[in-house]
Amino acid sequence: MIDIVNASKFYGTGQSRFQALKSVSLKLKKGGFYVVTGASGSGKSTLLNIASGLERPDDGNIIYSETDIAGLTDKELTQFRRKHTGFIFQQYYLLPNLNVDKNVKMGADLAGNKNYREVIKAVGLEDKLQKYPGELSGGQQQRVSIARALAKKPEILFLDEPTGALDEQTGRQILDYISTLQREYGFTVVMVTHNLNIAQMADTVVKMNSGKITEIYSNSEKKTAYEIGW
Amino acid sequence: MIVGIKDTSRLAAIAVMAFCAVFVCTMFLNYNIDIGAVSSEITSPEAKALYSAMLSCSKMACSLSGGCLAITSAVMLLFYVKHYVTLRKRELGILKALGYTDLQASMSFGIFGISVLAGAAAGFCAAYAVMPLFYKTQNKDGLLPDIDIDFHPSLLLYLVILPGIFFAALSVFSASRMLKKPVISLLKDTLQTNGKIKKLRESSSAELSFTAELRKSNLKTKKALVFFMVFSSFCFSAMTQMSFSMNELSSFLMGAIIMLIGVTLACTTLILASSAAVGGNTKTIAMMKAFGYSDKECRTALLDGYRPWSYAGFALGTGYQYLLLKIAVNIVFKDVENIPDYKFDLAAAIVSLAAFAVLYELAIYICAKRIERVSVKEIMLE
Ligand SMILES: Nc1ncnc2c1ncn2[C@@H]1O[C@H](COP(=O)(O)OP(=O)(O)O)[C@@H](O)[C@H]1O
Ligand SMILES: [Mg+2]
Repeated sequence: MIDIVNASKFYGTGQSRFQALKSVSLKLKKGGFYVVTGASGSGKSTLLNIASGLERPDDGNIIYSETDIAGLTDKELTQFRRKHTGFIFQQYYLLPNLNVDKNVKMGADLAGNKNYREVIKAVGLEDKLQKYPGELSGGQQQRVSIARALAKKPEILFLDEPTGALDEQTGRQILDYISTLQREYGFTVVMVTHNLNIAQMADTVVKMNSGKITEIYSNSEKKTAYEIGW
Repeated sequence: MIVGIKDTSRLAAIAVMAFCAVFVCTMFLNYNIDIGAVSSEITSPEAKALYSAMLSCSKMACSLSGGCLAITSAVMLLFYVKHYVTLRKRELGILKALGYTDLQASMSFGIFGISVLAGAAAGFCAAYAVMPLFYKTQNKDGLLPDIDIDFHPSLLLYLVILPGIFFAALSVFSASRMLKKPVISLLKDTLQTNGKIKKLRESSSAELSFTAELRKSNLKTKKALVFFMVFSSFCFSAMTQMSFSMNELSSFLMGAIIMLIGVTLACTTLILASSAAVGGNTKTIAMMKAFGYSDKECRTALLDGYRPWSYAGFALGTGYQYLLLKIAVNIVFKDVENIPDYKFDLAAAIVSLAAFAVLYELAIYICAKRIERVSVKEIMLE
């Protein structure tokens, strides 16, 4: 589904030029559950941003059903994200002056999804439709952001440390929602986390270290969010 | 230092306002005082009528421009104080955590008074520079006695020093009021989500699209920007049209001064408001783009809502200047000869509207370009 071929990314210029991604190649298959782990600063977010069309690599190709999105203009990249991707970030980034219903609508409108309240229900927030983000707990806000991403009916969901700001119990609940919804809707998941235990939930684990992929392996047996360590 | 002298440069708009207000007021008040001193020499009925008309006219000019501008400056100042409190809330939170009181933590905001002081002082000096010319045009028919320009220190006190102190105090007190919340809510990075929750439980009659909802909520939660947009077009409309009429009714100098002040005020507030409309929303823009909303959709959601307000402000300004001049000509100057009747100047209104439309759409265009430049990476910079 996404074929990352020899992708490199540099930050800064001159003396402070720094290679965050060193000719990385990775194949992501449709319907897979991928977890990218590694130490802080190892280039996980950079890989995710490039795979998802948030950023362009400086070198290499990102082939998405025969188009190389590395060669698209900003406008075309925006169109690409509009059609295919969903995002969930550590910091939620809900719009503070819109209530839950309207925040989810942000995703739903892009897919012409009229039944988006189903997704709100699926994350257990049907009684919070009129609440504003500031009135919700961190876990509830992250559930809103899951609903917002899924209301868009993405083919691939990208998550960057979705549980990074949450306590263990809330974190497990969030992960459980994600894996349950993946089974229900069948989208592909690419999740970045520095928590190695979460890797046990994945079909495929990608380990990174200083800008390179050091290991890729498949779990013969997936664990649920409540079975993994933390 | 939470805010320093460098930050005051961002307050140029307030300095410009102070400049304009003090410029107009100094000129008229100085003239009033000087001519008041020789009022016993005015004997002929014609001159007496002109004298009293002059007095009411300058009182009106002072209270209108001074009052209007003072209020707007105060609103603008509060806007900036809020901006900086939000921007520096972590530093402020740390001060509070260390045991500073709200007032002590806010002290450095007093420096904002300097921008008012600087603008006012510049306006004061400019007024004295233009005064010889102004005195001449006030008495161009030679009806009133010729008078010399005297310097009045009390004006310096009332128009420059006291406003400077007042605005410094206003900044400190408003900042300290905004800090009246638990330390932890200042320290937590909750810039976007845990601000004051604006309850907008409106009737959910029509199902609006997301961009329409966002536009609506932006107008409701950012009332200061709506105010500035309206004020900008109001000033532009009223003052440029008044300037055209002034050219005919009174003097070219007055017309030019009014035109200059109007255009300056309109531009500074328009730039302030439109750049705040984008600058205060960069995270929202980045998030919308990450989701795949196009630049055009971001622009519709964040900028288009202000357009009706701006043009309404223009209409309001047109009506206002019409009434004002009507009153001036028919009531204040009714005993003075040689004042032509005032009729609505359609040509001036059309020229002014066209100029405003160009200015406004240009500002929006620049903002649209800024929206295009907002990178999705904004959301990753934490
Ligand atoms: N915008 C940027 N500018 C400069 N350096 C960056 C930028 N983004 C990331 N980096 C650097 O690239 C490296 C990898 O970052 P990142 O992909 O965020 O790592 P991870 O997500 O694994 O913690 C880090 O050393 C980081 O400092
Ligand atoms: Mg990261």
